[in-house]
Amino acid sequence: MRESRDASKEKRGGAARQYFRRRKVCKFCVEKIDSIDYKDAKMLAQFVPERAKVAPRRISGVCAPHQRRLVEAIEKARNIALLPFTAD
Amino acid sequence: MRVYEIMFIVNPNAPEDEIDKINSQTENVVTAGGGKIQKIEKLGRRKLAYPVKKFSEGFYVLFRVDANGDIVREVERRLRVMDPVIKYITVKMDDEIRRIEKARKHRQKRASRIGARQAARAEQAAGQATEATT
Repeated sequence: MRESRDASKEKRGGAARQYFRRRKVCKFCVEKIDSIDYKDAKMLAQFVPERAKVAPRRISGVCAPHQRRLVEAIEKARNIALLPFTAD
Repeated sequence: MRVYEIMFIVNPNAPEDEIDKINSQTENVVTAGGGKIQKIEKLGRRKLAYPVKKFSEGFYVLFRVDANGDIVREVERRLRVMDPVIKYITVKMDDEIRRIEKARKHRQKRASRIGARQAARAEQAAGQATEATT
């Protein structure tokens, strides 16, 4: 349902937009990951670019429920030195 | 009783048997308080994302336990006073487990529903086919 709505929106704005932008999808929805584990530093690192800040949803394409879980996991990982708080 | 994960980082220069000693001590604290160890995992040496107590590396150990607040408090107190332990964290896992369970159930239900629908459709198609032949 959600997809069809998004598609129609894209069609409306299609004339103004000159280049094709791939629609971003939530990695966790697509890969059916139920739990975002704070121990999986490699996976979480995808969502913390160089400045060590959490990537916003508009960049990463993560859906709102998963972004909430993701931030929780990242904060836990930071507490145990798996992820940095700041870039040095 | 709740499920907790206790993760701590040991001084990377500590010998292996010292780590084992810490593990068995922690295990005793948990079992003595009426808790249960689900698993003990040595995650090994890792680079720390930021320096902790001047160390840039650490040996990670993960405990997954059934315990209550009193046990966790005691374990944390002991980890705090152990010199080789440079950092620890306790994470409550109940909500996470519940969420995984729920997602799995939901997916199963959906799969069976779709399966039933397909079966019905196949039956219908078969019925029409036989009708056409008669």
